[in-house]
Amino acid sequence: MNVTASLRSLYRKLTWTWNPQSDKEAGDAIVKNLLLHWFPNKITKGSLSWGYSFYLGTISFVLLVILVVTGVILMFLYVPSVERAYATVKDIEFTVSFGWVLRAMHRIAAHLMVATVFLHMVRVFLTGAYKNGSSVGAARPLNWIVGIVLLILTLLLSFTGYLLPWDQLAYWAITVGTNIASAAPLVGKSLRFFLLGGSEIDQNALIRFYVLHVVFLPGLLFLLFSYHMWRVRKDGGLAIVDHEALQQTTEQAAPVKAKTYSLLGITGQTSVHVRTAVVDEEKNSVPSAPNLARRVWLVTLLTFAVVLALSLVFRAPLESPANPSVTPNPAKAPWYFLWLQEIVTITTVSIGSFTVNGAFVGGVLLPGVLIILALWWPFRDRTGVNAVGVWFAPERRWQNRVFIAICLLIIIFTFVGTFMRGPYWTLFWPWESWPEMPVKF
Amino acid sequence: MNKPSAAPGGGTGATSRRSFVQRLGLMGILAGIGGFSYQAFRSLVPNVLYEAPKRFKIGTPSALAEGATFLEDRRLYVFKEGKSFYAISGACTHLGCTVKYTKLQQAKHVDIGGQKKDIAFEFHCPCHGSKFYADGTNYAGPAPRPLTWYKLDVSPDDGQLLVDMGTEVDQNFRLTV
Repeated sequence: MNVTASLRSLYRKLTWTWNPQSDKEAGDAIVKNLLLHWFPNKITKGSLSWGYSFYLGTISFVLLVILVVTGVILMFLYVPSVERAYATVKDIEFTVSFGWVLRAMHRIAAHLMVATVFLHMVRVFLTGAYKNGSSVGAARPLNWIVGIVLLILTLLLSFTGYLLPWDQLAYWAITVGTNIASAAPLVGKSLRFFLLGGSEIDQNALIRFYVLHVVFLPGLLFLLFSYHMWRVRKDGGLAIVDHEALQQTTEQAAPVKAKTYSLLGITGQTSVHVRTAVVDEEKNSVPSAPNLARRVWLVTLLTFAVVLALSLVFRAPLESPANPSVTPNPAKAPWYFLWLQEIVTITTVSIGSFTVNGAFVGGVLLPGVLIILALWWPFRDRTGVNAVGVWFAPERRWQNRVFIAICLLIIIFTFVGTFMRGPYWTLFWPWESWPEMPVKF
Repeated sequence: MNKPSAAPGGGTGATSRRSFVQRLGLMGILAGIGGFSYQAFRSLVPNVLYEAPKRFKIGTPSALAEGATFLEDRRLYVFKEGKSFYAISGACTHLGCTVKYTKLQQAKHVDIGGQKKDIAFEFHCPCHGSKFYADGTNYAGPAPRPLTWYKLDVSPDDGQLLVDMGTEVDQNFRLTV
């Protein structure tokens, strides 16, 4: 027996309880398979389609796996102490074999995950996939809420990871970020104190962010993620299935001979109850193994390839060590918070002698309102079952337009904050060069 | 003793022994979870901070240079104008970035809260473009209030200047030595 064959049989022994000989057996096997138990036995062609879901949820999950694998390796090499954090990251970048690739992959995958989770939410909204269709026991609005929490967790994971290199970029992004938190009314100041474990960004803050980043938030994420996946199954699969169910045509089944017993003996007739119509559901679905499994593996490979390729091109930056006395000019939050930084800059309003800090409006009030709106929306949306699982359903035209407008504003503000803000937060065109700024007092 | 006792398993309308014990158990579990959660939360609120003290000495008044001195690790500007001294925080009141001392090309004549003043320098924040006059009054950008002024004192034991970053003072504060 050659090596591949023996490896294959070993893999089978470990993951399958027996060797399926037919589609039906393979379907049964899915229930007993460790890796495939998320998959239904059969899956509709619509659910498989690239153009419906873009596999954004799958990509997000693959990115998460890459993050966990590279992250665990980085944990062996990183020391979360103020004295050593920067030096260990520098070591990872410049002396550890392949350290720079691992770090770059961790960073690229994190950035991409923020983007794909966001796009996944956009997809779900535009296809009306947070709505219950005709399936019994569905609670898609609940799963939408879980999804919003997962998006927030993704942002928090990325944000807590930002501080760990303990360089200037990290230090000032966290300064700006935690001061936004302290703009929350009443609890703001104590919230910042609790988050930082003190009044300054120091050792307490570093170890807190580290533990949040490597244990607390990932644990919560995995818990909610498994619930998210389980709910997808319980809600009847992707929302497009409900749409397909509406499209199903019925056709007359061939009459079945039946025996009718009468007093005179057996009369050869067809009985009424077997003159039935069948839906073409069976024709539109295929076994998950291998059809879905093949696509998921393909998406996994492509995602990994893209992350690796981007990591080879874009090295993770490492600036000078954190220095509380010198603020880089400009000082920017992570890119996915720059739309908020853009808003906190322009929303300080004075009414007479009373001034509202822009940090409160842009950092607390606006994101809070957006989150509450998102959580509440599935319960507000009363469009019918025809709007479930289709892109741009005419019935949902107006909500889709408003949603797209909000998303575009966020993207435009993010772009302006990222590419068009120079020293002292003044506007520059992306092709303009910034003036030289003295670094020291 | 003729008290009507509840039948086993309840059902008399009054609280049966079983449901009372059940409720007691539930409350015990909730109290346990609550107590433990409080412990976990409280242990993460530091009782002792190993941060730099808020009151510290910065040398004798005569040793300080005329004009502005920036204490880097404290993010504090200390000013000496002849015999009077004052200190302004370098932390922007918007989101806490360190403001930069910016000398003006030529003195500016400004009106601060009804008072006409000539100023030779300003503070500019690199994060979101907030601007402050020489006395810390905010006039541009998102900063919601003036830079904080801190109390200065002369230490009675060795005559050094004593900064107290725990005590805020108003803009009229001057320490005259």
